[in-house]
Amino acid sequence: MHLAPDTVPLDLPPLQSTIALPYRLTPGKATGTFLAELAARRIVGTRCLRCQRVEVPAQDVCSCGHAELEFVAVSTVGTLQSYTRMPDKTLGLIRLDGCDCDLLHRLHGDHEWAVGQRLQACWSDSPQAQALDLLGFEPAGQGAMAGLAPAAFEASREPLDSMATELKLHYQHAAGPYYGRLFDEMRTSGRIMGIRCSHCQSTLLPPRELCDVCYERTGTWADVADTGVLQAFSIIHLKFIGQRRDPPYVYAEVILDGASTKIIHMLDGVDIEAAPARLKPGMRVKAVWKAERKGSLDDISHFELIDPI
Amino acid sequence: MSFQGSQPVAIVATAQTQWRATWSQAQHIDLIAAAVQNALKGSGLDIRDVDFVIDSGSDVLDGRSISNCGFLGAMGAHHKEESRVEDDGLWAAQYGVAKIASGSAQVGLIIAYSKPSESDVSQYYRTMADPFIQRPVGLDEESACGLQAQRYLHAHQLTPADLAEVTVAAWRKASSNPTVELDQVPSVSQVLASPMVASPLTQAMMARPVDGAVVMVLANASVARRVTTAPVWVKGIGAAMDSSVFAMRDAQFDVCRQAAQRAYARAGLSAAQMDLAETSATSAAAELMTLEALGLAEPGKAIDLFRQGRDAGINASGGALPANPIMATGLVRLSEAAQALWGQRTSSAKNSRRAVVHASSGIAAQSHCVFVVEVERP
Amino acid sequence: MSRVAIIGVGQTHHQRRRADVNVPGLVREAAQRALADAKLEMSDIDSVVVASGPVLFAAVNQPEKWVVDALGARGKPVVRITSGGGTGFAGALGGYYQVAGGQADRVLVVAYDKLSEGALQASISSLYDPFWGREFAVGIMGFSAAYWRARMDKLGHTEEAAARVVVKNLSNARMNPYAHVRKTVTVDDVLKSAPLAWPIKLLDVPPISDGAAAVVLTREDLAAQHTNTPAFIRGIAYCAEADNAPQRSMLMSEPLAHAARVVYRASGITNPRRQFDVVELQEPYSCFELSYYESLGLCPPGGAAELIASGATEMGGDIPVNPSGGCQGANPIGAAGLIRLVEAAMQVTGRAGEHQVPGARLAAAQTGGGWANLRGLAVVSAD
Repeated sequence: MHLAPDTVPLDLPPLQSTIALPYRLTPGKATGTFLAELAARRIVGTRCLRCQRVEVPAQDVCSCGHAELEFVAVSTVGTLQSYTRMPDKTLGLIRLDGCDCDLLHRLHGDHEWAVGQRLQACWSDSPQAQALDLLGFEPAGQGAMAGLAPAAFEASREPLDSMATELKLHYQHAAGPYYGRLFDEMRTSGRIMGIRCSHCQSTLLPPRELCDVCYERTGTWADVADTGVLQAFSIIHLKFIGQRRDPPYVYAEVILDGASTKIIHMLDGVDIEAAPARLKPGMRVKAVWKAERKGSLDDISHFELIDPI
Repeated sequence: MSFQGSQPVAIVATAQTQWRATWSQAQHIDLIAAAVQNALKGSGLDIRDVDFVIDSGSDVLDGRSISNCGFLGAMGAHHKEESRVEDDGLWAAQYGVAKIASGSAQVGLIIAYSKPSESDVSQYYRTMADPFIQRPVGLDEESACGLQAQRYLHAHQLTPADLAEVTVAAWRKASSNPTVELDQVPSVSQVLASPMVASPLTQAMMARPVDGAVVMVLANASVARRVTTAPVWVKGIGAAMDSSVFAMRDAQFDVCRQAAQRAYARAGLSAAQMDLAETSATSAAAELMTLEALGLAEPGKAIDLFRQGRDAGINASGGALPANPIMATGLVRLSEAAQALWGQRTSSAKNSRRAVVHASSGIAAQSHCVFVVEVERP
Repeated sequence: MSRVAIIGVGQTHHQRRRADVNVPGLVREAAQRALADAKLEMSDIDSVVVASGPVLFAAVNQPEKWVVDALGARGKPVVRITSGGGTGFAGALGGYYQVAGGQADRVLVVAYDKLSEGALQASISSLYDPFWGREFAVGIMGFSAAYWRARMDKLGHTEEAAARVVVKNLSNARMNPYAHVRKTVTVDDVLKSAPLAWPIKLLDVPPISDGAAAVVLTREDLAAQHTNTPAFIRGIAYCAEADNAPQRSMLMSEPLAHAARVVYRASGITNPRRQFDVVELQEPYSCFELSYYESLGLCPPGGAAELIASGATEMGGDIPVNPSGGCQGANPIGAAGLIRLVEAAMQVTGRAGEHQVPGARLAAAQTGGGWANLRGLAVVSAD
């Protein structure tokens, strides 16, 4: 990898970042029915009216591609086709009697498993309209009702029509040599540095190996002032998850003196009511630094107008 | 815009960064920039000759929505036509081939990159499972591969030791591949003794995620003939996807077989005519299953290629088990095949002319893409 | 020489929330409609392209692998193409090349988003560089509003002009059975609506929608087997711009201008204002429509306010823009770019029903995404 002169890989710890987002998902009719009926200790599949295939869990569309289906309650007893043991759980593929496909589910309890073994469903005592209301499958007892054909189905309750869930994704981002130097200079000297394209001489902030426009290598590091021009702004009133400040506030795009690219930040010290009429692109701004710098854009608390309006 | 027929498309250059467990000193854009520059260097082409960029990457792996949008400068895509295929890079290459074949462009960059070290790989896979049933039940890459492997071993009376043999063969080959960074080649007993992940698969039998970037330069015939004496022609492509319901999947990678048949048919060639194979897999069992689905061995018999020492042309690069960049794996296989056909890999048999190249994606290889390529030597 | 034809189109009746179907069900609905329109079955399709917004809009990674069953596409090649807000169009572009490049004879492209399922603004924040700016980002709205404010001074894109866009598009949406926003507003209503990211106000913002659209593409010589009214893609292009490149213009969309040059040259367009009968463009906020009038060459730079005020872009004007209601009528983001193409095809084949522009034969369909740095354009004609 090419590094511009004076770009030294620094041992910065990776940036920890989490994306946490809530969801309210729609299961659709088949899945909604399957999940709801688990509370009644019923496993619901579908029979295709065209090809007669019985599939489980209930599907909205048959494997044959058609959607003319009827719900059926299927046997809760079947035969183990395949299984895998993991440190925290065991999963298996079970062919429930009368079905034309396997069901993927948990194998429940501390047992020996073998392909061909007869299994029966076991159930949670406190169902919550979720997949694990069916805890899993265990070796079938002597009394297990085997060979039950899929039966016409009368819904015992409303299908589930929405499910709340969350994604919480964690990341450790490497800074790389260019951001590494940028942040190091900001932290140790309160200095903002961009890097110059060897061809067009634009100064790029944040710094990077290649100029986006010329696709030529950057070469010289250059100081960028902490004053600049307010290129664009908008006045934020809306609230959203993860917002770091309560509105209203001014969202600002600033071209710092010496840089050819913009940074995004916030502008304080402006009367929000007066701003639409009085604040204008082109006004000069300066950065207000935090007392303690950590080496990030966040070391700048906000921008202020050099000439208050 | 009108187009006429389907014009031939060649691979004219390629480059990979080194594949490392963690590229701790580089961002995605640093790896991408390095690979693009290296691919163009010595190709006789520069960024101004490039008409379009098709890239592969994953928002979930990258930790950033529309991550390609933030990487356009490093890709050389400024003021060019760019699209992302959010699947393995071999599918991006398929798109690039179509574009040049249509006559609407002459030169394209295909870029794939990944930094799985920055995220939780198991979550990348787990979030592919439907959120209502399979995901809470526990379908993820490991459990799916475990079930797949158990079924495969059971059906063909094979054992974990066979999977260990395949694993060791892969790592041994990778140890002479300069682009793969690795510490040591495990022994069969070490592979068997590594922690059980999902029986019968131990950790060592699962593909190892790695960071890096790979670039292919594709061109039409007139450019190809100008810049290289040995264009690697793309002779045929096929792809196919299986069900999202794991329990309904075919046990023998039938969709891979279909994809391969389409590719061979388009190329007017057969599996027997392939000198080299570069395949993707996330487990040693999947590698065997893939080789069979590609027609390189009968069902249950791919292990014989290894037992009988006939695996020299199979994943000579080491394949995906020692180095699996996830979103880029199939494109790396294409890069390796091209370099082998150009005689740039000492490991490969001389006078190899044709290669079959494979990518798979989704939980336990739900989707497959196959390329058949052939080098034209002066 | 041959061209790519659109032989079938379909879309769902877009809604704020479809509680009756999951994502695969929504996708199937649009796909089945497009197939029926082309008098085809899924078994006739060689390849499927799925397009949807960023994965984090919903909770499933690589969702094309989830919807394959509902589409009836098991065993077929299926690929997902993404490009932020321009995804639906980018999917069509990918499908276009599969046909033009001889990889497939009949391609189904389906685009969707089920925005009711996630937290839109929060997921949009993750677009930004985690090292540099993500914490200050205000989705797409913040910078879109900021650039609008900058264009106010230089180009006269006033709040009032943008409000006229909203009035026009919502009025048009009432004639579009697929749009779900059914209200009439006045310029005054828009100007008085609550500021969200001023100058963007509540009524400048399109709705959040669940919806899908689909097209079937094939070669010109095969089109007649399926329809008497194919729509031909005369030109199509997409262009990207590095989001933080030096000297990136806020005043004009350079990638759109670039795509327009390519497409106009390929399609024989020298005077877009006079030659196009209708334009469908993707306006994520009202201000963008003004900007696109200029980038598409419908008026000179700085002429957009005058153009909207003249009534020329209304139904009945000489260059109707967004007879469908545009994004103001329905905005399932990942589908929006494809909906523009679908609507353009419907217009030139005389099948746009109550929002038909009489006699339309030549249409432009425009799309955009990312940080306003991914832009596409197609010219669609009846012959």
